[in-house]
Amino acid sequence: MSRLLVVDDEANIRLLYSEELHDEGYAVETAATIAEAVEKLEQQSFDLAVLDIKLKNESGIELLQKIVKERHDMPVILCSAFSCYKDDFSAWLADSYVVKSGDLTELKEEIKRVLTKKAQRRAAGL
Amino acid sequence: MEIAARSEWECCWDRDTIVMGECPNINPGDEDLLTSRSRRLLEKCVDCEKFKRDLARFRESGHPLSTVFSVLHNDYRRQKGQIQALAGFLDTKSLEMRFMHELGSVLQSSVDLDEVLSVALTAITAGKGFGMNRAFLLLADKDRHILKGHLAIGPRTAEEAGRTWHEVDSGDLDLQGLAQNFRATKLSSERDKFHDILDRLVVPLNDDQHLIVRALEERQPLLVTDAFHRSDLDIEFARLLGVDTFLVLPLVSRHRRVGVIIADNFITHRTITEQDMHSIETFTFPVAFAIERASLYERVQEEVEKLKQANLRLQDQQEQLVRMEKMALVGRITSSIAHSIRNPLMVIGGFARSILKSTPDNDPKRGFIGSIVTEAQQLEQVLGEILTYSDALFPTCDFWNPNQLVETSLRDIQERVVSQDYTCHFHAGEFLPTVYIDFKQTSYCIRNILLSTIDGLQNGVIDISTVRSGDQVQVRIVDHNRRLSEEELEALLTPFTETCEMGSGLNMALSRSMLEKQNIPLLVVAPPEGGVTFTITLPTRKEDMP
Repeated sequence: MSRLLVVDDEANIRLLYSEELHDEGYAVETAATIAEAVEKLEQQSFDLAVLDIKLKNESGIELLQKIVKERHDMPVILCSAFSCYKDDFSAWLADSYVVKSGDLTELKEEIKRVLTKKAQRRAAGL
Repeated sequence: MEIAARSEWECCWDRDTIVMGECPNINPGDEDLLTSRSRRLLEKCVDCEKFKRDLARFRESGHPLSTVFSVLHNDYRRQKGQIQALAGFLDTKSLEMRFMHELGSVLQSSVDLDEVLSVALTAITAGKGFGMNRAFLLLADKDRHILKGHLAIGPRTAEEAGRTWHEVDSGDLDLQGLAQNFRATKLSSERDKFHDILDRLVVPLNDDQHLIVRALEERQPLLVTDAFHRSDLDIEFARLLGVDTFLVLPLVSRHRRVGVIIADNFITHRTITEQDMHSIETFTFPVAFAIERASLYERVQEEVEKLKQANLRLQDQQEQLVRMEKMALVGRITSSIAHSIRNPLMVIGGFARSILKSTPDNDPKRGFIGSIVTEAQQLEQVLGEILTYSDALFPTCDFWNPNQLVETSLRDIQERVVSQDYTCHFHAGEFLPTVYIDFKQTSYCIRNILLSTIDGLQNGVIDISTVRSGDQVQVRIVDHNRRLSEEELEALLTPFTETCEMGSGLNMALSRSMLEKQNIPLLVVAPPEGGVTFTITLPTRKEDMP
């Protein structure tokens, strides 16, 4: 079972993601802040992280940079209401990007695609 | 010494009173001379042959006073001749002054270059003016440092001359009238008529040896004779004019070389005199001044027109700036609220979907939950549009077929058009150049316009056409079904302004903003009688992009 870390400052969104992704067969952990996310990342291992770009007074991009630097083998999917992520080159470090929507079909498909790709790369010894 | 008796004199000088018919020199109108002996003697008898014979007889009589009389008579006649010549000269000068005054008043009051030139050249060639056959005007082109033929007047053949001069004689127009008539009816045709000569009448201003340039430099008119055999004149120039004698009249205003007038008697070959030259020379000063003033006025008008255009552009840019500011403000607001709206909306929609998944098909609540899902999805779409609007869009342009652009847009909305029983007639222009656009964005805008047009209506007709407009291609969308007021039209292009007719202005404002980023104007016209026409003007050149 793949383990996912969902980082979002909205409790209801964390709950929605947990429920929906759990139904999809993933083990889901959530974090509301960067500090909480970093703590969980240090304590547990995850196959993929879903990050909201705008976190109250913080930026999901910061966490993305940290993950890429320290956990470069863990793919990240950015998730936000904004499409202005394109203006920030740092956002290009992410493996994928989805616009937030009540319809999680796209997010689920991206998670599946990114995890498959990761598995293929691991199998190839990359 | 024998003096003839009174009855033997042939002339009537010795009679106080005569009757009409007795003196052959007294004509009707001279009746007062019949009874005035002294005036008759001074005005008529002194030139009368009978009187001369009487005087000869008197000389033959040997009277000592006869010699004195002869001397006095001869000197009187000489002085009378001089006075008559002077009177004639004064009459001529008086006419000349009147002519110059008439000319001067027209030239001084006009700032229209064509009018000035018409007056100047008509004055030189009209019988009531200087009476030359032809006149050529060469103007200085300061940028190219040349004198170039600009206008000519006069006949090219004897037949034409006869016809024209007959028309002028029978027309009884004064100089101003002739000039006005020339300007109205012959200015352009005379230019065409002398086109072959005018085009070749080119003299480099730096050719100091050329007599035309010399006349201009020295500011002195020239009476050129023997033109075909002069070392200071190109024989081709003389051949072009076709005459061996002509006048060169420099036009100089203050220190500026305005041009040169060349005048000749190509048809009549009447001798051109120094007097002709000096008469016309007087006239060239006001002409040069008037031409320069009219040219300056023309240039000032051009500058004024440029300023007007610049002002209009400035106003347009100001309006655009205000609109962009309005849009930027809208963008900032939408960006800041989007996050807070989108999150709860996705939570509502998301959980509704979750519930819907676990709700049995026969549960009556399933419909309500489905409605929540649909409404939330629709709201998300609106939010998506708002975010797209506030987003910075950078067009990626390339060359595209304009007909393909319209066809693609139509295909994308075909389903919606059919569902609303709408008919779209596409009139594809032929042989259109490719247009330099962001295909995706422009197609989105056309779709937006079409969808806004059919929004809320059924069973209508839209005409779409692609036409060439100068260097550009226009896409025209004509909606025959709507009628918009001026306020509604304004609202249509302002974001978040509701119009009863076409819903939220966001789509249209977004389209306009997208097109403006590509420097593509979107013109919307809604005449009071009904119908709305959208015109999108697409560039065909890369250089037209911002």
